Amino acid sequence: MLHEPETDADVSEQQLANEPYVEPLLELKEVSRVYGSGDAKVYALRDVSLRIMPGDFVSIVGPSGSGKSTMLGLLGCLDIPTSGTIIVGGKTVTGLDDADRTEVRGRTIGFVFQQFHLIPHLDATGNVETALLYRGLSKAERRRRAIESLDKVGLGHRHEHRPVQMSGGEQQRVALARALVTEPKILLADEPTGALDSQNAENVMELLTNLQSSERAVVLVTHAAEVADAAFRKVSMRDGRIVSDMTRVR
Amino acid sequence: MKTFKDLLMVSLTGLFARKVRTLLLLLGPMIGVAAIIAAVGLTDSAKGDLKAKVNKLGTNLIEVSASSAFGGQDPTLPEDVLDRARSVVTVKSVAKVHELANIVVTPYNEARDKYEAVPIPVLASDVLLPSVLEVKLISGRWLNEFDEQATSRSAVIGIGLARQFNYLPGETRTIELGNIRYGVVGVLSEVELEPAFDNAVFITFSAAKADFVDADKILANKIYVRSQVGAEKDTSEALKIAINLGGPDEVATDIKSEALQLAAQSDQQIKLIVVSMGILASIVGGVGIANVMSISVIQRSAEIGIRRALGHTRSIIASQFLLESLFIGLLGGICGVLLGIVSIFLGATIAGWVFVLAPWLPPAGILLAMVISVIAGLYPSVRAAKLEPLETLRLG
Repeated sequence: MLHEPETDADVSEQQLANEPYVEPLLELKEVSRVYGSGDAKVYALRDVSLRIMPGDFVSIVGPSGSGKSTMLGLLGCLDIPTSGTIIVGGKTVTGLDDADRTEVRGRTIGFVFQQFHLIPHLDATGNVETALLYRGLSKAERRRRAIESLDKVGLGHRHEHRPVQMSGGEQQRVALARALVTEPKILLADEPTGALDSQNAENVMELLTNLQSSERAVVLVTHAAEVADAAFRKVSMRDGRIVSDMTRVR
Repeated sequence: MKTFKDLLMVSLTGLFARKVRTLLLLLGPMIGVAAIIAAVGLTDSAKGDLKAKVNKLGTNLIEVSASSAFGGQDPTLPEDVLDRARSVVTVKSVAKVHELANIVVTPYNEARDKYEAVPIPVLASDVLLPSVLEVKLISGRWLNEFDEQATSRSAVIGIGLARQFNYLPGETRTIELGNIRYGVVGVLSEVELEPAFDNAVFITFSAAKADFVDADKILANKIYVRSQVGAEKDTSEALKIAINLGGPDEVATDIKSEALQLAAQSDQQIKLIVVSMGILASIVGGVGIANVMSISVIQRSAEIGIRRALGHTRSIIASQFLLESLFIGLLGGICGVLLGIVSIFLGATIAGWVFVLAPWLPPAGILLAMVISVIAGLYPSVRAAKLEPLETLRLG
């Protein structure tokens, strides 16, 4: 399932399978990210290429300093590479200005963070609604979608609670509802269970696993082996390079 | 439009979520604006009664008198002085008088010794004088056309003279003008713009000529003019030329309310000092806003980061913070205006002044607070917009 068939043989194979072509949701092409300059130059990522396809459930693993956080920043259009190309939903985002990159990010990517990053003075609904602001939606419509999203993550009874009134697991589920309410094609989760106890971690992982669909890709960045093992595809990193990219046989 | 509505909602929610911080921010512009409003209002109110008097009396009464440039005796105005005055288009009404010299006025003949040394002015006046001065009579009537034509010995006296002569309102009395007996037909009320009239006696031109002037004609030596409001200065200059043209004597004009207006003016220096202090207080308040908001941007960096990650652009973030400071200015300005008005009211009540508040003051105060707050909010807003989401979100 390649974007551009490279050989005639590939084409005939696709036709035989009678399946439509599928475009990668997200593609890194020989991407490097360098911090500092001169002698103090540090390669956080070196010539990394990666494709995230619809339906992927990928975990990116590696020890600290392996470049996985840098990778997450680039995948999430939060950062720009020093060299190389990033294509999101068929659109090259490297070279776009900040406002356009922000627009692509808001439209296609949902984030879940280790620290939840909920806005403390807003209740659960308000936090989820934040993702729907400045999109020309009415207040009522925003609220309706936010509540629907909260119901999906099992927080139907917690609409009006503020972050301080909720447990870590609940807060992470609010964050998840916030990430999903815009119906993003890609869900990026950064150590989503890192701040949770094992029971809550299990619940969140179960939710994440169920979120993966044929349309959407879920990308997990983690250093916890048991979290990584939940994914079908495991990308291992070390010293700014991808050392393995394995897919489980379904 | 929807984007602006969303921004408005986000900014207000942000302000109301941190009530104490918002209140502290409000204090700066509020105190500054209150100081300015109170300063201007109190200095105005201190002269409020005089201002009210100026408004009541009118600013447009002009006195035109003949004056002799070369020390000549008894300067007079030309015979057709009223027509000349009326030829000035800004003149609304005009009346002439002639001050008679050296007439001893006594309530009755036997009291001559007592009153001889007291100079009491006697004026020949035309029938229009009270209407030009805008003064009423306390009792009786003013001199009329019949008096003028019949050369009747009728006199109107000023209120001060009536008191001095123990004249009872409505009483049938006579008055001795240089041994000639005149009947008192009326008492003129207080003339605030021409206090000398309170002790004067008014008779007709015809009687004055018959009894006291040897010459063929009696000419006015003074006229009173009401001009259009606002054109006092120009009118007074035009009158000099119109009346003096071709005549031998100089003409002097005097805008009667000028001195009163000057007295009613607020003390500009004190006002300036206190207003400067108020502006200074507002600026200090602005610095406070810049300070607290800068800290707030750091405190809220995670919020800013997540908003950026969720697709809010830099300009949206900057607008959000700028709107917050605009609201602080608006609210602080409104509170400051209210506080200032209360201060003026209390100050004026305690000191017994008339409450005066210039209508431009409240909007100007609110505008100043908003301008200062927005300027103060510029730097923090730009800082907030420049925050990189990657740096604030602390990825694992």
